Amino acid sequence: MKKQNNQKKPENKRYRFSKSIVFSLVFLVLGFIMAYSYSLSQAKQEASEFTGGAFSQEEERVREELIEQQERNKELRAEIEEKQKSVQQFEQSFADGEEHFADYAEEAEALRLYLGVLPVEGNGLKVTLQDGEYNSDSANPNDYIVHESHVFQVINELYISGAEAIAINGQRIHANSYIVCTGPVITVDGVQYPAPFTIEAIGESDALESSMKLAGGVMDQLVNDNIIVTMDAGQKITMPALLTES
Amino acid sequence: MWLSILGLILGISLGLLTDIQIPPEYANYLSIAVLASLDTLFGGIRAHLQQVYDDKVFVSGFFFNIILAAGLAFLGVHLGVDLYLAAIFAFGVRLFQNIAVIRRIILAKWAEKKHVSETPS
Repeated sequence: MKKQNNQKKPENKRYRFSKSIVFSLVFLVLGFIMAYSYSLSQAKQEASEFTGGAFSQEEERVREELIEQQERNKELRAEIEEKQKSVQQFEQSFADGEEHFADYAEEAEALRLYLGVLPVEGNGLKVTLQDGEYNSDSANPNDYIVHESHVFQVINELYISGAEAIAINGQRIHANSYIVCTGPVITVDGVQYPAPFTIEAIGESDALESSMKLAGGVMDQLVNDNIIVTMDAGQKITMPALLTES
Repeated sequence: MWLSILGLILGISLGLLTDIQIPPEYANYLSIAVLASLDTLFGGIRAHLQQVYDDKVFVSGFFFNIILAAGLAFLGVHLGVDLYLAAIFAFGVRLFQNIAVIRRIILAKWAEKKHVSETPS
């Protein structure tokens, strides 16, 4: 090198130039390799951090989301259960209410029958009380005519044995009806009726009839009082409403 | 001199700007190449200080070492033997040796200079 320097002056410059070119090339490669290696290791670190950190972070996030969703599902399921229960309760109460309604309706029907606010129709028993045959032996006509007490007896017996509606000569009897004896006739709710009295009762006609015919019962007593009693069971009876003017 | 510095800067910027992605297992080759180039560089400096420097030896050694080291690492990766360790070991030892020689030469020169400067006065 020094030899060359000393030897040739004109070639020296060229030589130096080519040398610096070579050096620059070498340094270029060196710098490139070092810098590239540096950036590569940096990138690798980043990448490893990314694959490790970010992935686990993502996984954690997803897991949290999943847990959140599951909790929400649980809540919703509990809510559904609650709602179902309340719906069931509603249904139950509806059913109960319906049962009650049916009961109420039946009761109202029965009460209506007792009150006689509506005309009714149905099977029942027809009892006719007729004055006895004129008996010359008996001085007292009271012995063979129908008294209001007989009517009472019949009506009470019929009510007791399950009559739902009763009418006397087509006049409905209700809870506040009154029957009084006014001489030879009886007055039912202010309307006078002579004998014979037709007492109609709607209900189980068999039960009504048999209760009437009990030994020592109403029938026997009536017969004992010389009253002619006729019974017609199983007839279709139609009664007007209480307020109907007859 | 300036041209070489320019080359270094250019190389560094080029290396930093390149965005080529290479498989991570090839990163080993690059580190080996870095080691080889450093070794050659310090070898060149030592040779220069020992007055035995030769351009051709330096330049050929520079590139040849890089290629050899990378090839060794490549072979090692494909054979399943950590051959790059051999390269690292060899270049590392040589690097330390070169630096030690450089240090001694510089120290000797410094001492000599001191001695020389002291004696005339």
